[in-house]
Amino acid sequence: MSIISKLTNSWAHADDATKRLVIKYAILTAALFLPLFWAFLAVRNLYPVTAWNVMMAGGDLERGRSYCILRGETISGETIDVAAIQLTNALYSRNWTMVNATIDNQAFKLKSLHPQNEAMLRQFGSIENLPPGARIPDLLQAWGEIYNKREPESSPMRLKAIRLDMYRWESGRYADYDKFIESWRKEL
Amino acid sequence: MVPATPYALGVVRFFVHGIFLFDSVADSYSALATLPPTILRPTGIMKFLPWSFFDALQTQGGMLTLKTLMVVSLLLSTAGFLTVISTKTSLLLVLFYQGLLRSFGHFNHDEMIAVYFLVVLAFTPCGDAFSIDKRLGRTKQQRPAFAYAYPILLMQLLLAWVYFSSALIKLRVAGWKYLSPDNLPALAIFHSLDNLHDTAFRAAFWLPQVREYLPYFVGFILIWELLFPLAVFFRRLRWLILWIGVVFHIATVPLMNIGFPHQLLMYCVFVDWDRRRFLTRSKQVLPCFVDQHRCDPTTVAKS
Repeated sequence: MSIISKLTNSWAHADDATKRLVIKYAILTAALFLPLFWAFLAVRNLYPVTAWNVMMAGGDLERGRSYCILRGETISGETIDVAAIQLTNALYSRNWTMVNATIDNQAFKLKSLHPQNEAMLRQFGSIENLPPGARIPDLLQAWGEIYNKREPESSPMRLKAIRLDMYRWESGRYADYDKFIESWRKEL
Repeated sequence: MVPATPYALGVVRFFVHGIFLFDSVADSYSALATLPPTILRPTGIMKFLPWSFFDALQTQGGMLTLKTLMVVSLLLSTAGFLTVISTKTSLLLVLFYQGLLRSFGHFNHDEMIAVYFLVVLAFTPCGDAFSIDKRLGRTKQQRPAFAYAYPILLMQLLLAWVYFSSALIKLRVAGWKYLSPDNLPALAIFHSLDNLHDTAFRAAFWLPQVREYLPYFVGFILIWELLFPLAVFFRRLRWLILWIGVVFHIATVPLMNIGFPHQLLMYCVFVDWDRRRFLTRSKQVLPCFVDQHRCDPTTVAKS
């Protein structure tokens, strides 16, 4: 009771500017925390409203997982590993999910499709007929261009082709991490 | 408990906006422009933008314009010039840019708390000190301490919410299974197999050898996350909690190839900038005092 009476007293004695500030801060607090509580209860991210569901499910040894290695074939005939972060550093921590989503054709599962994706989908008839990673060649082309742009014209390290090799860790045990699944290759 | 001066809030503004300024300068927007818009999956509010907008943006000219706008706005807001406007333009631009990045990849959480801090700073008097506005005498002097203390408290509470809610969600979704001995090694190894992560450390492959101890480690981190809000209210516990956070976030890089540098840097809201300023000034005053004491002939005569 004493806290409430203190607050009431302070409010009564506060000038208009202070009252305005208190109301403004109360609105700011509510505007921040109400969506956060909703996201927490729904365990849903709706950008920019965030639920901190980082690694919420944990790892499951029994579940198999696929992963990709980005490689380049140089003019000198070498095959080299290409680190995606060095190509598109702005994506930081998101390169691997960009690749996974592109392999899964997620850009074709949106409510509103990009006109070029809409045209491609019409060409194939339905999403089931699309090959996995229908847009991976475009992504590889972009990565190849970025890589070659940074190499001098005469460099033997320039790429003549870039490819994405997909592997699977069948899991169940801590071994056999690299069962080859498939590869996408793009001549540059 | 909470710093309550314009200076403290000004320093936090400098840090938060400065981090995004650093990102904007370091990120290759031209490389981003090379990516095809056909792989975009607009997320959240980004869905309101038409495809023609993304087509125009995903060009060298579009990205150069975005980068220029971001660097200029963040430079102004970091330096505290036209702060009332520049903090809001920086918020809008960063919100858009982070949404764009998440539309290519996934909903990465690292920068999100810093985006929330930008929201707080955009609507509070964070340019009243440690700013060019202050130097130019453009700031309003008469504000109660509450005007500066509450935004800092709000940012501390937001950061506490990040950890606390993260622990609760883990317990809600995975339950006790989260403490399974294979949870951490399976996850860490998966994130160490490809070359699409930011780093390519292989320490994860060592984890199965110590798997029986890992539930204690994971349990400890869960408890730490649940107790994080105590850092807001107890000064003595604060540094212990924050140091565990520093070690934890650094350790996830070699173990999982996943880092949270932006979130870690947001710990700056827990630094008592008023006290630091006082200590720095004391150190500057002290040598002068000592020198005067040594050199002043009257003092020497008295001694």
